[in-house]
Formats: sequence, C-alpha cells, structure tokens
Amino acid sequence: MTTDETGAADVARPAGYRQLIRAVLYREYLVFVRYPANAIGGIVVALFFFGVLFYGGRMIAGRALTDSIEGIIVGYFLWTLSVGAYSAISNDIGSEVQWGTLERHVMTPFGFAPVALLKGVAKLVRTFLTSAFVLAVMLVMTGTTLSLNVLTVVTVATLTVVSVLGLGFAAGGITVLYKRVGNWLNLLQFGFIVLISAPAFDLRWTRLLPLAHGSALLQRAMVDGTRLWEFSAPALALLVGVAVGYLAGGYLVFQVATRRARKLGVLGDY
Amino acid sequence: MTASERVVEETVESRSDASTGEPAVAIDGLRKTFGSGPEAVTAVDGVSVGIERGSVVGLLGPNGAGKTTLIKSVLGMVVPDEGDVHIGGVDARASPRAAYADVDAMLEGARNDYWRLTVRENLRYFATISGVDPDSVAARHDRLLDRLDLTAKADVAVRDLSRGMKQKVSLASVLAGGASVVFLDEPTLGLDVESSRTLQRELRRLVAEEDLTVILSSHDMDVVERVCDRVIIMADGRVVADDSVDALLGVDDTHRLELTSADFDGDLLAALSQRAAVVDTEGLDRGGRVAVDADSDDLYSLMGALEDRGVTLESVQSVDRDLEAAFVDLTGTEGADP
Repeated sequence: MTTDETGAADVARPAGYRQLIRAVLYREYLVFVRYPANAIGGIVVALFFFGVLFYGGRMIAGRALTDSIEGIIVGYFLWTLSVGAYSAISNDIGSEVQWGTLERHVMTPFGFAPVALLKGVAKLVRTFLTSAFVLAVMLVMTGTTLSLNVLTVVTVATLTVVSVLGLGFAAGGITVLYKRVGNWLNLLQFGFIVLISAPAFDLRWTRLLPLAHGSALLQRAMVDGTRLWEFSAPALALLVGVAVGYLAGGYLVFQVATRRARKLGVLGDY
Repeated sequence: MTASERVVEETVESRSDASTGEPAVAIDGLRKTFGSGPEAVTAVDGVSVGIERGSVVGLLGPNGAGKTTLIKSVLGMVVPDEGDVHIGGVDARASPRAAYADVDAMLEGARNDYWRLTVRENLRYFATISGVDPDSVAARHDRLLDRLDLTAKADVAVRDLSRGMKQKVSLASVLAGGASVVFLDEPTLGLDVESSRTLQRELRRLVAEEDLTVILSSHDMDVVERVCDRVIIMADGRVVADDSVDALLGVDDTHRLELTSADFDGDLLAALSQRAAVVDTEGLDRGGRVAVDADSDDLYSLMGALEDRGVTLESVQSVDRDLEAAFVDLTGTEGADP
C-alpha cells in the first residue's frame, strides 16, 4: 500500500483471470479499431486474388469453373479464415519476442501461454469479421447463393479453424526457438489449400489432418444446406476431436519451445 | 479461488508488507554455460550476490562479462545450469510465479511495452498481467505519470512519443503493478544528455518514494555513479568487485593532484619521487609534472618542501578518480559495455 501527498492510499486488489481476459481482449479490440489498415489490406488482397481466380478461371475454364463456383467460394472463405488465424497468431508471437513483451509476460503470475490463447480467440473473432465481408463480396461478385445458417456455419468454421490456430501456436513456438525459420513457416498457409481440398470422403485418413474434415462439413453446410444437428454424431465428434487435438498439440509445442528457448538463452533474441 | 488467483493475492499482500528482513534478491552459486565441448562459453560462473531491500545496485562489466545473462537468469528468462535465486525469500525455481510476482524488468534494446496503445492503457495492461486490478491502482498510475512528467501524454499512443518519453513510459509500465524489485537493463540507452539526466533524477526520486529495490545495468558510468548506492563489476562471468560507489571511487581523505612547474628539474623530480605520496613524475620540455596521492598531512609536508626549494607552481590540478578509472583498474578494459 502506498500513499500519495493527500494521504489517499492505494489498496491494490489482485487481478484474476477475469481481469486478464478483459485486458487482453480489450487490447486486441483497441488495436483492431485504431489501426484498421491491416484488416483492410487483408480484405483487398483476398478479394484481388479471388477476382483473378474467378475472372481468370472463367476465361480459361468457362462453364467448368462456374459449375463448381459454390465449392470454390466456400473453400476460399475457409482459406481466408485459416490464413488470418494462422498468420495472426504466429506473427504476433514473433512480434512479442521482438518487442521484449514476451519475456515480460513469462515472469508474470499468469505467464504468456494464457495470454497467447486469449489473443488467439481475439484473432479468430477478428478474422471472422473480415472473412465474412470477403464472403459477402464474393457472393455478390459471382451472383452465387449459399446456405448461410449462422449457427451451423460459425460453429463448423470455428472448430475447423481452431486446428489451424494450434498450428499457429506451434509455428510461433518454433519461431521463438529458431528466429529465421519463422518466415519460412508462413509458406505453410499455401499448404492449407491442399488440406481444404483434401478428399476427406474418399481418403478417410485425411480427415485426421487439420482443416480437411471441417472443410468437407462446411461444404455440406453451405452448399447443400445441411444444418448442424443434421450431421452425424461421429462426424461432429471428429470435428471437435481434431480441433482440440491440434490446439492442444500446438499449445504443447509452444510451451516446450519456450522452455527450450529459456534453456538455450534465446527467448528474447531477435 | 484458483491457484493463480491465490498466488496473485499472496503477492499483493506481500507487497503491502515487504519488511520481512530477507534480502530482496539472493543469488547463490549461479552458473550458466552456453554450448558444449570446446565451443562452450561460461557466461555466468558461480556468481553469489545478495541485494538488500531499498538499495540501488549498479551492474557494470565489459562486453560479454555476463551481465545480461545474469539478469535474465535471475528473472527466469534464462534457465541457469546451477545455483539458486531467492526473491524476497521465495525460491524462484520452485515457485517462479510467486517469486516473480513482485518483480518487473525493463530490458535492454526492447520496447518493453505496446506502442500502439496509449501511455495509460499500457500502465493498466501491465498492472493487470502482473496480477493487480488496474482500477485499484489508478491513483498510483496518476502519480507515476505526474512524477515522470507524462500526464499531458497519458492518452497519446506511445509510438507518437519521443525516444526519451518512450523510455519513461517503459519505466512507468514496469512500476505500474507496484513491483518492489525492478531490473533496469540500460534504461538511458540512446537518450540525449538532458533526457538521461531527467530519467536519472526521477528514478532516484521514485526509489526513495516507492521504497524500490533496483538492479541497474548501464554502459554509462555517470548513470551508475549518480543513481546507484553500490556497484557490482563483472568480468568473464565472475564478480570482480562488489562495493559501495564511494569505496570504489576511493572517497576518503586522500586527494589526487597533478602539480606542474618550470622549476621541476631532473634532480628535484628524482628527490620528489622518493616521497610516498608521489605516485608519478614526468619531465617536460620546460620543467616537469608530479602526480600525488596525498592526505592533508602529506600535502602540507610536500608544499612546505616545495616552498623551501623556491618552487613556483604553474598549475595545481585535482584529478578525481571516477568509476571508469576504478572499472579499468579492476577489469583491465577501457569502457564498459552491458
């Protein structure tokens, strides 16, 4: 307890996880609304590449592309979500290392891991907002109609992208250990295209990969109009299992990498 | 109540009653080696140091002396190979969260805070992650901003501030949660003389008002000399000196003087060099120069002898020993680098 000149005393109250959640999410909110250039830039780039894909594809493939446009839009929507969540979390961890704020978090009562997890949630919400806008423009641009049951789409897409969040954590952890590898790990986002278009129904083992099973369910939800409760219980259980598994795995890699970085003395090096 | 909330609550309570008699920081036999085999480098080699509450301790040493590794090992950012660290009596290895909850650090060459947030938002954020509800220390934040002359900039994004202001914000955010043990690695790096002096003055004032324990590493020996009570000098991973600033500066009743005169010929210089107080003699084109380390009695005796010889002094220069001289003597290195 300290006292100021007027005799008024500070009685410091402890902060628990409720205050931590509020502080981290509020920080992310402030950065998002105060500096919208990154989000706008991401939207412009996403729409530009979709425009090239759509108009260029239509010139080359003609009707073949138009016939499969619904699947392409759903896949592209999921890809923008995945890239947004993955790069946001992995780049953010890299930035925290560079700023010296990761080291400050490490020695706090909460540590950095719960903060990183909360940041991941905030990035997910942010990415949903920007990807929803991209989706709306794609639908208008192509004159396509999709089934957009909000509960189904948000639930399936969130659980699908959570596995990518796990990959983001793992990539962030590896970046903490091996700084130069970080930039190369950004290339992984192009691999998401393969995962999103993986033949989950034909090659059943691919359903265990991140994105693949969720992508197939999202196609059914948005193209065929299947509602959340119409999916089979094993299909939903697998979706949840893959999400939790990759998130837990990524979180574990991040924790192990951070501990290793402390052992090697490279936690704050950049 | 969760385990983390219990740790935080205990921490807040311990901040209210820091007078437990334990040293603020106790380091015992700390050792850290990077790499293995012939390439291995021992950055910290069996360092044992105790730091009393309310003291300001400077950490000096040449480049690669192991200062940053020592600080980071104490803070748990680097895992040491051997040795123990106790903070406020709590074993940092066994109970890191509890031990570090009353500690914060401003690290060399890093931003340490979020430049896209305003000054006040940074203070609130870092208070929260250090386990303190920011609403409960709002008055403290106002006081800190006032002390560091940041009140007018409280709602300005840190990225829009000058470098000196950014350093002050770093310091304020480190103190925002009420940590009583603070590590400052190069707090004045890159600041102009004016900003550096202001920060030093405010730091000294905050130390007194907030009863802080500060461990400060700086390449600027003036900063260490002005701000610190005690100095630890490291070389090759070891502590080569650990004493009060006054003791290292040789502050006693002896004075180092340089006397120059055209009357100092070879014979006289030879005679003077026999005196215990004379540490050096040098012949010049015209006369010579004599350096003496003398207390009052030595000085009166020497002056009497010079008067008897009819010597006219051209200059009498007082040469104060500074920390840099002490540092060079102890490490054999010109200048310090953190």
